[in-house]
Amino acid sequence: MINATKKWIFLKVSSAILIPLMIWFIINLVSIYEKDYIDIVSFFSTQPSKFLTSLLMIVAFFYSSLSISEIFEDYIHDKKIKKMANKVLYILSIIIPLITIMVLFNLNI
Amino acid sequence: MENKNPISPHIQIYSWNISSLISISHRITGVINILALILICLWIALLLLGEVNYEYIKFFLQSFLGKFLILYLTWSFSFQILSEIRHLFWDFGYGFELITSKITGLIVIFGSFVLTILIYLIGKQII
Repeated sequence: MINATKKWIFLKVSSAILIPLMIWFIINLVSIYEKDYIDIVSFFSTQPSKFLTSLLMIVAFFYSSLSISEIFEDYIHDKKIKKMANKVLYILSIIIPLITIMVLFNLNI
Repeated sequence: MENKNPISPHIQIYSWNISSLISISHRITGVINILALILICLWIALLLLGEVNYEYIKFFLQSFLGKFLILYLTWSFSFQILSEIRHLFWDFGYGFELITSKITGLIVIFGSFVLTILIYLIGKQII
């Protein structure tokens, strides 16, 4: 299997996983965003919320890095800039969800 | 001689139709959604600063701009969800006929507004 095929399969599987996670998260975001600090920390402190938010972050950043690299492929002409842009993208796609997950598992009321 | 041709045809050379509108909107909302997720990660990280410091964020989120931002994000997520479902159907070989593609495109556009209202009502526990 060539790399492009693997990338396409990863993109499609991650998008299928993302759909229910996005629906769950956006409903809860609408529900809590105006609430007090305690309510928001309580929400993120429950095991299902921790697990689902962490999963959302991992899959969303994975999916986005693959999608945005496609946009780079289409619109960035210079190969060096494209390579650098992809490196920055992949590093951020690992660091941002990792920090968020660490924060989630350190939140306590 | 350096080739200055664009790698991919640029959007301005096409005449607009539903498919092209959905296609470019899918990309734009995708980029907006990842920027939104970065902000959400920052929001979660700022919870570590404690209750007193969170008051500033709460003040912003309860303002008109904060509420508009959440409403916009709800639409942007809704659009991406419906457009992605449309793509998944295409991947299984369904919906390529011109008329079907136009109908599903319209469903994505109008459905995103309906889904936004629905998510908002469920989130606010009105329904």
